[in-house]
Amino acid sequence: MTAPKSPRSPAARARARFTDPSRRRGLLIAFEGPDGSGKTTQRKLFKTWLQAEGHDVVTTKWNSSELIKPLVKSRKALRVLSPTEFSLLHAADFRHRVESIILPALWTGRTVIADRFLFTGLARDVARGLDLDWVINLYAPLLWPDLVFYFSVSPATSGLRVTTTRTPNFYEAGQDVTDVDDPVESYHRFIARVIREYESLALIFNFVTIDAERSIREQHEELRRLFREGQQRPWSDWNVDAVAEWLARRNGGAR
Amino acid sequence: MSRRPRLIAVDGANGRALLAAAERMAVVKGVEKSVSRWDASGLFEQLVMAGDDISTTSSRLLLLLYAADLAFRLRWEIEPALAEGHTVVAAPYVDTAMAFGRACGLPAKWLNNLFRFARKPSERHVIGTAPASRPRETAGFIEFGCVHLEWIDGRELAARTRKQLGTGRASHLGRRLRAR
Repeated sequence: MTAPKSPRSPAARARARFTDPSRRRGLLIAFEGPDGSGKTTQRKLFKTWLQAEGHDVVTTKWNSSELIKPLVKSRKALRVLSPTEFSLLHAADFRHRVESIILPALWTGRTVIADRFLFTGLARDVARGLDLDWVINLYAPLLWPDLVFYFSVSPATSGLRVTTTRTPNFYEAGQDVTDVDDPVESYHRFIARVIREYESLALIFNFVTIDAERSIREQHEELRRLFREGQQRPWSDWNVDAVAEWLARRNGGAR
Repeated sequence: MSRRPRLIAVDGANGRALLAAAERMAVVKGVEKSVSRWDASGLFEQLVMAGDDISTTSSRLLLLLYAADLAFRLRWEIEPALAEGHTVVAAPYVDTAMAFGRACGLPAKWLNNLFRFARKPSERHVIGTAPASRPRETAGFIEFGCVHLEWIDGRELAARTRKQLGTGRASHLGRRLRAR
């Protein structure tokens, strides 16, 4: 979509808002990684620290839209979702949270921490055999985080951390695509595919990789340091379409 | 089975007229299986039953749900019938959603990609009946969108959708069905 050039256009308003040096702009920080990588622990510690630093923080989790989550949950319980439906419904959940939580928070200068972002959808859907180009387009117009922390662990570590405390559920274990009856065995196979996709995405999209095999304290200190460096980055103009579309709708335009 | 299985797509901006035309189409074509309808998956019904506020959602969100519903219909209704050698009437199919998306100002590229998973129909028909003046959300996808997208005028949206659908694409059979 080509951004309109009028100074009063949503695109112009978006740029003006997010590049205004007189106000603290909203920051979007994504935490990504496979299950068992410890990112939720780090996300909580990071949020507490950010709040102590004076940030007004909003957290949003994967598949948590009040509107869409019940639709997904009931279908997951029945195990009736194909990879295509699984992908589309998670993209719908994400879209709803972008429109109702993430963009409104960023617009008012709040810091948003996303416990999983669209990259989770990409890694899992591609691991399920879907085409990356098709999946990424579902999330358009793309909203790029200021920072993506990728918590890197081996498939063995992820498998160990997850399966020693609980049995993975049907979709978490990828049993819809592995055809393996044992959820633990299926999880080990599926998570290896997911991690392979994550590693590719980390290169393509320039994630900040955190070695999640290290201690909790070491990881947290590294996050603080990386955040201090990363928050100085200028606002990415790649985001103008996403913000402009949301603004246009908010003000009674189409889309 | 003597005839080849065929997928007949019937699209339009008036849900009731669309279904009525599809039923007639099924008779004309001697379709053995029933018509594949919008919301066979129950996604939209569940949204309404939950009573959540969906007035602030976007057309992109509704189209992602439409695509999820269509994927369900393809998997459970359309593909199995075709595999058994039957002809299927899908009402609505892809064109209704594409027209709705274009009427909302969404890029054709995004819409084309979204529905890339849907098999190409053997025949496409457009029912040109005008949108209902007082749309009910359960009548069809366009009506659902017009009722719930409060940030856009529903009547204008329906009219724009119809215009998008009618750009010289109404088939002879579609026109004949509309005239009845």
